[in-house]
Amino acid sequence: MRFAQRYFRRPASLLGVAIVSLIAAVAILGPMVVPYSPIAISHVLLGAPQPPSLAHPLGTDILGRDELARAMVGARISLTVGIAAMIIAIVVGTLYGAIAGAAGGVADAVLMRIVDALLSFPTFFLVIAVEALTNKFALGIIILVIGLLSWMGVARLVRAEVLSLRERAFVAAAQALGASPERVLLRHLIPNSLAPVIVAASFAVGDNILTEAGLSFLGLGVQIPTPSWGNMLQDALLPAVRSAWWLVATPGVLIVLTLFGFTLIGDGLSYALGSSSTRR
Amino acid sequence: METRPLTAYIARRLAGAIPLLLLISLISYGLMGLAPGGPTAILSQQARSLTPAARHAYEVALGLDKPWYVQYFYWLKELIVHGSLGNSFVDQRPVLARIAEKLPITVELLSLALLLTLVIAIPIGIRAAVKRDSFFDNASTAIALIGYGVPVFWLGILLIDVFAMHLRWLPGSGINSVGREGDPLDLLRHLILPAFTLAIVSVAGWLRYQRASMLDVLDEPYVQTARSKGLPERVVLYRHALRNALLPMITLLGLQLPGLVGGAYFVEYIFSIPGMGYLGINSIFQRDYPTVMGITMLSALMVILGNLLADVLYGAADPRIRYD
Repeated sequence: MRFAQRYFRRPASLLGVAIVSLIAAVAILGPMVVPYSPIAISHVLLGAPQPPSLAHPLGTDILGRDELARAMVGARISLTVGIAAMIIAIVVGTLYGAIAGAAGGVADAVLMRIVDALLSFPTFFLVIAVEALTNKFALGIIILVIGLLSWMGVARLVRAEVLSLRERAFVAAAQALGASPERVLLRHLIPNSLAPVIVAASFAVGDNILTEAGLSFLGLGVQIPTPSWGNMLQDALLPAVRSAWWLVATPGVLIVLTLFGFTLIGDGLSYALGSSSTRR
Repeated sequence: METRPLTAYIARRLAGAIPLLLLISLISYGLMGLAPGGPTAILSQQARSLTPAARHAYEVALGLDKPWYVQYFYWLKELIVHGSLGNSFVDQRPVLARIAEKLPITVELLSLALLLTLVIAIPIGIRAAVKRDSFFDNASTAIALIGYGVPVFWLGILLIDVFAMHLRWLPGSGINSVGREGDPLDLLRHLILPAFTLAIVSVAGWLRYQRASMLDVLDEPYVQTARSKGLPERVVLYRHALRNALLPMITLLGLQLPGLVGGAYFVEYIFSIPGMGYLGINSIFQRDYPTVMGITMLSALMVILGNLLADVLYGAADPRIRYD
């Protein structure tokens, strides 16, 4: 397939796939393999975090829990939030942008003004929304809020694509053959405007992971005892374990590595698809 | 550029921002009403002694016994009639005064961070574009790609660990050493690590943008013309190309403002800097609705003004742009 060849011609794109596959494999399989619970408190090691050792390759935290087991569950949370919120944003953004672009005129102007308005919502608003809507551990709510506050960029991309596609001969041909507006939209306009969306999707996963980690770091996202990379970092700041460097290193390195993987994939896709959209 | 169309343009944009601010305030207010517990739950946790009757009296005093949309109406009326954002639930002082005393330090922090970002990112971005595909270009691109994924809160912790706790070069929390309150040099010393934290995370985006912008300009016919006139390469790059390559960066300034403000919440939280971000996060935890609303409105206003500023500055820098 020509696309795959173009994609894998660049070593960096291959590296991106390798990193993300590794993190995904660890997230899916890891918790089944590691012999420690990510949540159960060890009364032997309580209050005395252990540095990395053979028994605990990434050490233990203040409650004596195996840091590796927690990091693996954290990977599950991060990937779940990142991908699920991305799907919401892509579906909403694509439909919204395509409808605006296909409708044109006043409807388009109004719809895009709403996008401008939503883009002016400050970051602080996201924090309020999550705080208001999640009282207990509710991953679905976090996913929904992140997804519903991040589709606007996709809508702009798709609208721009649709506006230019609308004038193309194959669209006029479909209309002349009697295709309904819905059919033109779903079968012709949307499929042909997906190249920049695919690139945006890859970057969006990374952005969402970062957002979730930030919220959880503030204690607003994933609630303890369920581990997430963000709340693990918050735990690492407790004065009693402040010198335990491995507790700071583990979640941070994992976030950076995962984001790097998705950024490389996005860059590679952008190159392979000949799309002009790159990382902001 | 004539003055009148610009004034009219700014006025029109500001007028357009009013319904937007109303919408943001309405949704934020409604969301806060959904938060579990509510202010008095937090208060009674602190007081422990609040009887149900006392708690109810307290709710009546704060207007919390009414539905959220009635509260919102009073809040809005107070804002429009008296220009007041109400009083804090925590210390009963006016929200505006509370924010006003926290704002300067946040502005100082953000300005320093922005200055550092530009000083680091612009020369690297330009050099990467000029030496395209060189080792320097590839290395800076690689670092930028990794830099995107560095969480601002993690970087802050690392810098505190290394430079404040281990090497003890710089203070890692607060804004003043004991006994040196109000000393600007001492303040600057305290702001270095937080400002660098914010700057390092934003360098990645700026650098790539500057590189792309410079590459675009280098392809322009006027650069070729300058070269074919026999001008020295230095003059071509810095007099002809660079000026035009800096133009799009002005837009980025406005667009990056929300991200920078967002980063300030984390950085102030980690470095214990008593600024707007710190106040905002604490107010959410304390369910201090009036203060949360005040900060939300101010943040929204900053985003809107940032976008407007970007458009106006872009027009000022490029006379081809017309406002209509």
